[in-house]
Amino acid sequence: MTAVRLRVNGAEHEVDADSSTPLLWVLRDHLGLTGTKYGCGIGECGACTVHLDGTPVRSCMLRLATLAGADVVTIEGLSDKGGHVLQRLWAEMNVPQCGYCQAGMLMAAAGLLKRNAHPSEDDIDAAISNICRCGTYPRIRAAILRAADAGSAPEAGSPEKS
Amino acid sequence: MTQQTVDRRQFIVSVALAAGGMALGIVPAAARERAGAQGPWATDDPGATELSPWIEIARDNTVTFLVPTPEIGNGAMTQAAMNITEELACDWSRVKVEFCSIRRNYMEHGVYDSGFLPFFGGHGTDKVRMHHELQLGASARERLRTAAAQHWGVPLATIEAKDSLLTHTPTGRRLTYGEVATAAAKVRLASEPKLKSPDQWTFLGKASPSKLNIPQIVTGKAVYGIDVQVPGMVYAALKQSPVQGGKLKSHKPEAVLGMPGVRAVVVIDREKTPGTPVPGKATWGYSTNQLQSGVAVIADHYWQAKTALDALPVEWDAGPGAKWDTVEQIYGAARALHDRPGGKVLRESGNVDSVTDGRTVQGTYSTPYCENAAMEPLNGTAVVTKDGAEIWCPTQDLLQAYWVAIDESGMRPEKVRLHECYVGGAYGRRTQADDVRVVIAIAREYPGVAVKTIWSREECFQQGRYRTPITTQFKAVLDERGYPRAVTGKAVFVGTHPLFQLPLGYSDVPYFTSGIIPNVRLSAASLPVNILDGAFRGPCYNSHAFLVETFIDECAAAAGIDPLEYRLHLVSRWDKSWGDCLRVAAEKAAWGRPLPPGEGRGIAITSWPNGAIHNFGTIICAVAHVKVTRRGELEVKQLDYAFDCGRVANHDAVRAQIQGGAIFGMNVALNEQLTVKAGEIVERNFDHYPMLRLGDKLPQVNVHFDALSGYKRWDIIGESPVGPVGPAIGNAIFRATGKRLRTTPFRDHDLSWT
Ligand code: FES
Ligand code: FES
Repeated sequence: MTAVRLRVNGAEHEVDADSSTPLLWVLRDHLGLTGTKYGCGIGECGACTVHLDGTPVRSCMLRLATLAGADVVTIEGLSDKGGHVLQRLWAEMNVPQCGYCQAGMLMAAAGLLKRNAHPSEDDIDAAISNICRCGTYPRIRAAILRAADAGSAPEAGSPEKS
Repeated sequence: MTQQTVDRRQFIVSVALAAGGMALGIVPAAARERAGAQGPWATDDPGATELSPWIEIARDNTVTFLVPTPEIGNGAMTQAAMNITEELACDWSRVKVEFCSIRRNYMEHGVYDSGFLPFFGGHGTDKVRMHHELQLGASARERLRTAAAQHWGVPLATIEAKDSLLTHTPTGRRLTYGEVATAAAKVRLASEPKLKSPDQWTFLGKASPSKLNIPQIVTGKAVYGIDVQVPGMVYAALKQSPVQGGKLKSHKPEAVLGMPGVRAVVVIDREKTPGTPVPGKATWGYSTNQLQSGVAVIADHYWQAKTALDALPVEWDAGPGAKWDTVEQIYGAARALHDRPGGKVLRESGNVDSVTDGRTVQGTYSTPYCENAAMEPLNGTAVVTKDGAEIWCPTQDLLQAYWVAIDESGMRPEKVRLHECYVGGAYGRRTQADDVRVVIAIAREYPGVAVKTIWSREECFQQGRYRTPITTQFKAVLDERGYPRAVTGKAVFVGTHPLFQLPLGYSDVPYFTSGIIPNVRLSAASLPVNILDGAFRGPCYNSHAFLVETFIDECAAAAGIDPLEYRLHLVSRWDKSWGDCLRVAAEKAAWGRPLPPGEGRGIAITSWPNGAIHNFGTIICAVAHVKVTRRGELEVKQLDYAFDCGRVANHDAVRAQIQGGAIFGMNVALNEQLTVKAGEIVERNFDHYPMLRLGDKLPQVNVHFDALSGYKRWDIIGESPVGPVGPAIGNAIFRATGKRLRTTPFRDHDLSWT
């Protein structure tokens, strides 16, 4: 065990855990940030998506040992009080069903809008490979398209900085 | 920028402080935080300002409803709140909702018991419960009005209640609900107020609010079972016999006890189940949720527990289940029962044996094992001491979970506290509480400490309570017009438990019950195997729908009659809504409009839960439009749904259930199957169990409300849409390619054509 320093949602942390621990479990068990979800543990489902240095990644696939100095943003840090345009549209358009996959979906979608403020349907379909067993895909796509129409999506209410 | 150093000990201390003494009920109720800080469950003790065990109004005018229905994604929790709101006339923007304490229900003699399966996740608009909830709202409103009238010393008739405000109409003076709630709590009404008639409703059926927990979901604050934090909590990783029904033969705890964080290795053994000390009231009983032999590693953190479990030397005695080398062997044994005498006759009319001449249509139709695959893996947290047990879990049925917890802890009901969390999907998997039983069995072996047990995804796949595979042999003898004069069917269920061998969607279909086919004999048999079956969204209906609607389509094709027209005739002696659903879905999908080669439309109609009862359940029709390339690549371009559940209480919630159910059912038909090797389930994660994603060219799903009958019922929606989508797609593929698909998943079939 060696302590690893990383930044999560703008705060510095020193995490003392087994170096093989995936970031997913560092966030959930060691930092108490349970918004990031475990779905498969093998990089398939995307429920564990967070931003690493500004880019969406699957946190179950990243070991603590490789994360010294990393800058991580989780769903809890996507915006101040749920004010990100995607969060607002998700509520307005009743996107989630059980909701379990949605933190990962939102982080993936927010990452997409950051790269591409006006994604087409095809861009969305290509970028979001997360699984939703409840089948909320059509609403997810519709909400992202609306966010893109609303413009300047990524900044709205987001404290996320690199 | 804050500097924080987190290690395990500090972490536990800080969580303990933040959580304010949540564990074990040691701390007096008053010191407990209201839910929200820790999770969506209500406290086990009556609130100071409650008007009833269901309704609490705070001084600041926040209204909190405590409801018995779990929230599995269908909005049942929000629907319960909507029902009360309609009569309470409170401000929806100030409404909060929590899960009721199931222990309170026991202690207070059934205060949350009302309607059919009151603690089950699927029935937000159950007739009896909806009425009860409306009545609770009306009573509370009248008590608030009375309290306001007394406050001002004015006649009751001059008080208007609206949007959480009480107005004295002659003077315009106002009080908030919150201001009079304490006084209202003391008011006793001489008689229960009369309810509005549904045409007078202003909220139900009119507004379509989003689910109340979405703000928590999108900020990561919603507490699912897996997110529960309890002071001092440790984690368990679990492995049960990979061949279901097998037994732990040996293991070597000493090999892992020295690994980082590891605290204990415990054995799960049904011999140790103490049993309930008082007669139980579990919704589904105890036989579907017995412990399976297994072992668990308990450690400070989940990753440590999992790492040690992976390193733990374990040997299993596989038992008789190991004889199944492949899943095909199982299905072959099931099909062999088609021609063997025996089985139970479910429906018989006329005499099928007397009908010998006429064109015959015959086929065997089958569905495979599937896994519910809820995105939240099975889990739960429990602490067991000699004085009691406390459990936090994401269950689909609070009553079932409570009594299974009592049975597995051996504690008296008053000593068991069970808290409901948000449920990250379930689709039937969390109805039987076999998961709750395992969580308690592990915590009991490590007493006094809260243990959170998490099934790995691999463990979820291997320890499913799977969809019951069904294989049905159908035979029809057609009359001179091409319609069946006689139909014989024999369904074989693979599995052991009768609870999961349901005839719904088979022997209750109006084709067979309305008398339009004069000679019918439908029977069923079963093949017992070691692999455990369970509830899978619309249990058995999800299979029968495919088996029946593919067969009927084949009859239509043999008769050379348009499949829509064929079905319209076959439902013509039953409730009009069957014909309406067929016509609306077909018309909206441009049925009959010519398509280019390689494209086709298919139709199917089903109902959940019982088509043989007049004006009951949800009747639902799907039309699929598919395109198949010459090389056999399938694209489902469009799905059109029409349905009749009577009336609708929340349009957008219903639309969401049908859209989601369409994709769920489509995945089942296109992709899903589990296979077997030496008695073990082979597929263990999503890399071998494909799930539709946005990149899979998903169809446009259109949901049409035009077939609603307006009949006074608000019937259940969630199960129904998974029925017709598979056969509609299969029937469309037949039109596009000439290939008839009698088994799922379709990805197993070569769809190429020339
Ligand atoms: S949990 Fe990381 S991708 Fe599924
Ligand atoms: S909303 Fe349930 S898995 Fe996506």
